[in-house]
Amino acid sequence: MLLTLAWRNIWRNKRRSLIVMISIVVGVMMVFFTNGFMNGMLFQMLKNQISSSVSHILIHKKGFNDNKVIQSYIPDPELVEGAIKEQTGIKNYSKKLISFGLLSSASNSSGVFLNGVNPIEEKDVTKIKESIIEGTYLTENKRDLVIGKKLAEKLEVGIGDKVVAMANTPDGSIGSEMFRIVGIYKTFSSEFDKIYIYANKQITQEMLEVENKEYEFSIICEDYQQADIIKEQIKNQLPDEYEVLSYVDLLPMIIFQIDMSKQWMWILNIIVGVALIFGIINTMLMSVYERIQEIGVLMSIGMKNGKIISMITLEAFILGVTGTIGGIIFSLLVMWPFYNSGINLAVFSDGLNSFGIGAVIYPVLNINDFAATLIILPIVSVLAALYPAYKAIKLEPIYAVRYV
Amino acid sequence: MQIIRTEKLEKIYNDNGVPVHALKGIDLEIAKGDFMVIAGPSGSGKTTLLNLMGALDKPTEGNIFIENEDISTKSKKELSEFRLKNLGFVFQAYNLIPVLTALENIEFSMMLLGINEEERQDKALALMKELEIDELANKRPNEMSGGQQQRVAVTRAIVNNPSVVLADEPTANLDSETGAKLLDLMQKMNKEKNITFIFSSHDSQVIERAKRLLILKDGKIVEEK
Ligand SMILES: Nc1ncnc2c1ncn2[C@@H]1O[C@H](COP(=O)(O)OP(=O)(O)OP(=O)(O)O)[C@@H](O)[C@H]1O
Ligand SMILES: [Mg+2]
Repeated sequence: MLLTLAWRNIWRNKRRSLIVMISIVVGVMMVFFTNGFMNGMLFQMLKNQISSSVSHILIHKKGFNDNKVIQSYIPDPELVEGAIKEQTGIKNYSKKLISFGLLSSASNSSGVFLNGVNPIEEKDVTKIKESIIEGTYLTENKRDLVIGKKLAEKLEVGIGDKVVAMANTPDGSIGSEMFRIVGIYKTFSSEFDKIYIYANKQITQEMLEVENKEYEFSIICEDYQQADIIKEQIKNQLPDEYEVLSYVDLLPMIIFQIDMSKQWMWILNIIVGVALIFGIINTMLMSVYERIQEIGVLMSIGMKNGKIISMITLEAFILGVTGTIGGIIFSLLVMWPFYNSGINLAVFSDGLNSFGIGAVIYPVLNINDFAATLIILPIVSVLAALYPAYKAIKLEPIYAVRYV
Repeated sequence: MQIIRTEKLEKIYNDNGVPVHALKGIDLEIAKGDFMVIAGPSGSGKTTLLNLMGALDKPTEGNIFIENEDISTKSKKELSEFRLKNLGFVFQAYNLIPVLTALENIEFSMMLLGINEEERQDKALALMKELEIDELANKRPNEMSGGQQQRVAVTRAIVNNPSVVLADEPTANLDSETGAKLLDLMQKMNKEKNITFIFSSHDSQVIERAKRLLILKDGKIVEEK
């Protein structure tokens, strides 16, 4: 009966109640929108970095990550490979040569990171194969080379064209080799496309006089969130002369932004929560003042304070719950299409590309966030209603009854 | 059998710094089954006395016993419980909760006593039938006339079988015909169920029906009939 009473009391002043509900709906939508798109953007940035070059865990000789010199090869690749094979939670890994060098065409030349890879291993670790837009991926042919679109434009080369790569060998002389472009790729990032080139590992090892040497192990874990734990476990298996880094170490800016966005979400939640608190306090106070006489009658006939508090907080609770559910439903309705097909920001795509974000952003919807909101907002509504409820029970029935 | 007894009841209001001596030593005994009217000029203390006898307010001096329980020693919560179980109230106007129907309004006091829904409804409907207001059952207060609202209010006041029903000028907002109907109803309940009624009123037709009449002036009983 209290529930009926609370429900009908809410609809006594339709406009006022609707305003509160709509403001909750809007607040909830705002939170989910910002949250969804911000997370969508950040996770995409993270995913892009991981899938292009960073992977989940990288293993080098100590110092290689900061200074990629050809002398810093992995001392004992078998030891590392053994450790990886024993480690659980690892999906794929690849080993490669990485060297800074110069790539020249007939018309131009450009500084590059030459990646000497095993094409079969590499396709399970990075997404270069999937990013090819012209030509093919690396084949058995020794001199195959895959480069990015931006670089191809700069060097004014296309499929089938010859280019020459040059880089330092460990003894300080220059190793060089002729390659033929078989594929052109395009990733989310034009910066990346300008620098990273891929060739078969063996020819690059020969060119740089580092036969059988490896420079980097890239590991993909079954669950990326386990990367830091797995990293520590591998680290413990290897001597000190190795560096084992996870994407968290390698992408500090993005991780920082993700943390920031979490905090920002808290701030936004608090702002929405505070707005909600004031909305509820205001509405419920007005509603209590309008009903002073009625509350006086209820007190006179023996309604106890506890029941009066229940009646008033129940009204706020209903407002909070309906508003929150409405907000969640509307958020889902509006975001669902984007969730499936992404938001196309092609108009800004140049700007976004240099940030490492693709033109299409997929908002991230998190069930936990919805659940948390569904629990927290109604509780907040009830807490906010406590003050008006307190005002109500402070009324003296004899004055309240005669109040006009 | 006596149901209310007051001893040297004094009430001094001290709201705005100026003390108002509203009741000056009221000694009174009210028997079960009485139908008593408190009359007197405006400001004579009728409402004040009724509020004290209704356990809505506490005296400044003196004692008040209802069903042999000393009201002045009870806490707010105990008073609330006491009113719920022992007393019924009919105010001058706006007695009913606007968003509830007549039936629900009557059920409400039973709900406060923790009576289950089915029993509540049966009992409320039966009483409404008995008082011939069952056609109002599903009407909300704003769909009823003032007299109908007051009759629903009386029904609510007696539904929990209180020892006393207190009514502060229950007919003040009604024309004499509807007022008479309301009084009929209360008289009937008084006779049939032996419920004690105490009114305050200026209304001559209320005064005429009184079994016992008390006239107050300046916070004192000046006449008793
Ligand atoms: N809450 C209050 N604060 C201060 N003075 C009060 C209060 N209530 C009543 N009084 C004063 O106490 C006296 C008695 O008031 P009371 O309301 O009991 O009279 P009444 O007989 O019911 O009058 P009426 O016929 O106008 O209803 C009056 O002088 C009134 O002004
Ligand atoms: Mg009065």
